[in-house]
Amino acid sequence: MATSRMYAEDNFKASRQFWHGAIRAARPWILLLPVLTVIIVLFLVPLLGILRLSIQGEDGYSLASYATFFTDSFHLAVLGRTLGVALIVTLGCLILGYPVAYVAARYAGGLGTALLLIVTMSFWTSFLARTYAWMVILGSQGLISNLARALGFEPPQILFTGLASNIGMIHIMLPFMVLALFAVMQRIDRTLLRASEGLGATRFQTFRRVFLPLSVPGMINGCAMVYIVCLGFYVTPELLGGPRDQLIARQIGSQIEQLLDWREAATMAAVLLAVTLVIYAVYDFFFGLDRLWRS
Amino acid sequence: MFNGSGTLSRSLAVLVALFILIPMLLVAVMSFGQGSSLRFPPQAYTLESYAAYFKSRSWTIPTLNSFVIGALSAILALAVTTPAAFAFTLYDFRGKRLIRLLVMMPLMVPFIVMALAYFFFFGQIGLLNTMAGVIIAHACLAIPIVFLIQSASLKGFDWTLVRASQACGAGAFTTFRRICLPILRPSFLVAGLFAFISSFDETVVALFISGRAASTLPRRMFESVRQESDPIVAVVSTLLFGAVAAVALVVALRQRRAARPANR
Repeated sequence: MATSRMYAEDNFKASRQFWHGAIRAARPWILLLPVLTVIIVLFLVPLLGILRLSIQGEDGYSLASYATFFTDSFHLAVLGRTLGVALIVTLGCLILGYPVAYVAARYAGGLGTALLLIVTMSFWTSFLARTYAWMVILGSQGLISNLARALGFEPPQILFTGLASNIGMIHIMLPFMVLALFAVMQRIDRTLLRASEGLGATRFQTFRRVFLPLSVPGMINGCAMVYIVCLGFYVTPELLGGPRDQLIARQIGSQIEQLLDWREAATMAAVLLAVTLVIYAVYDFFFGLDRLWRS
Repeated sequence: MFNGSGTLSRSLAVLVALFILIPMLLVAVMSFGQGSSLRFPPQAYTLESYAAYFKSRSWTIPTLNSFVIGALSAILALAVTTPAAFAFTLYDFRGKRLIRLLVMMPLMVPFIVMALAYFFFFGQIGLLNTMAGVIIAHACLAIPIVFLIQSASLKGFDWTLVRASQACGAGAFTTFRRICLPILRPSFLVAGLFAFISSFDETVVALFISGRAASTLPRRMFESVRQESDPIVAVVSTLLFGAVAAVALVVALRQRRAARPANR
């Protein structure tokens, strides 16, 4: 009798412990439940819907649309152009952004602050506003054309060409690059630079042998970010670019607008997604994604 | 002694800064111009376009829509993401890396891909061309931003305060309301503001899923730039730029005021 009561009490304790343990183990999941529900139901399901759409044929699932995509020279050209344009814009941003970030990091006084202020303001300004600004500058009635006419020669067509679209994208992505570079340059140990100069290196040598190598992580971060965004850039190429320089995002956009071929649009989107995720995976393998998001 | 390269880098930096700044200033000049929105310099200067913007319902309604969508999607993103940020700082659990990746996904997927995905998905469930659809989409896209900001601020949070509060007999809810919330208020505000701006500025997804009924300001601007030569777009651009410049000025002044006592 007594033993069985003890037994029951033990049982009760054990079960209470079990439940407490279970609740403790479940606690993070209770906190995670809202975000997981939203991400899965309202983000992942639509995204996977695209993938399903791309493999859905008339009779069952097939990869035929991918075969079509990768054998069609037009689509391959669009994909190649997208990768190439993203590279050009990324390099343009790096070349233009590096001096700005460098000066902002090294001359903390008036000039550095002013540069950072301009870059940050541009970063926060609606990129449609900035795209529109380039239409005004490059248009046939715009700043450059009227300047050329005033100087007495016929201006070339710039707006609605690949060049205009590249300039606009560089202008829009430049703040990302500068801020990514600056975040790393700011943390470079000043005493190393002073040591180098103290040992008799010229300022250029100090820059090339000490500062530049230490700023490489910023260059990698900035380039990865700019390149990835450029791959999926829709608005600026659509507004500034010409009809002949199609990029993959514009192709997807025009498919949606004209409600043409769902399957083809979904296939292009899946390819774009795959390329983007491969770049993320490569970055993650070498550097770890956390570093990209910290800035 | 270092004059050569110092001057070079500084002049390069100033040139690039002008490249960044001039287009934005140009738009401000355009907004006071008369006539076509693509002719520079304008033939005459007036305030007509400003009046036209505030009178035109085809512009004020999208503006209002953008504010409502931005605010509601920011609140939604904050509400679902903040508990997750607590879970990530407080607990170790299985699949943490995978869930983190899942939460960050909206930042990784190109917006044009999501535009297509939502266009199709909302078409099926009847949320295409509705405010609710845009709010949901923008809230999802803001989740990674809110998550990053909230987890960064929680990392620096002093958890002994929570233990102290509980030792004094406060329950979990009271502790959250009286201890966590006041300390974390700046982070809530910053995360909410970032989520709001990301929605307010988001063009691609809104372009395809908002339709005429729930048209956002960027969508209206996009259509205006593409189809008409409507000078109002310069006004809107200038107002947006002006708002950013005003905030930048306030922040800069505040920082200077905060820095002054330290200088003395």
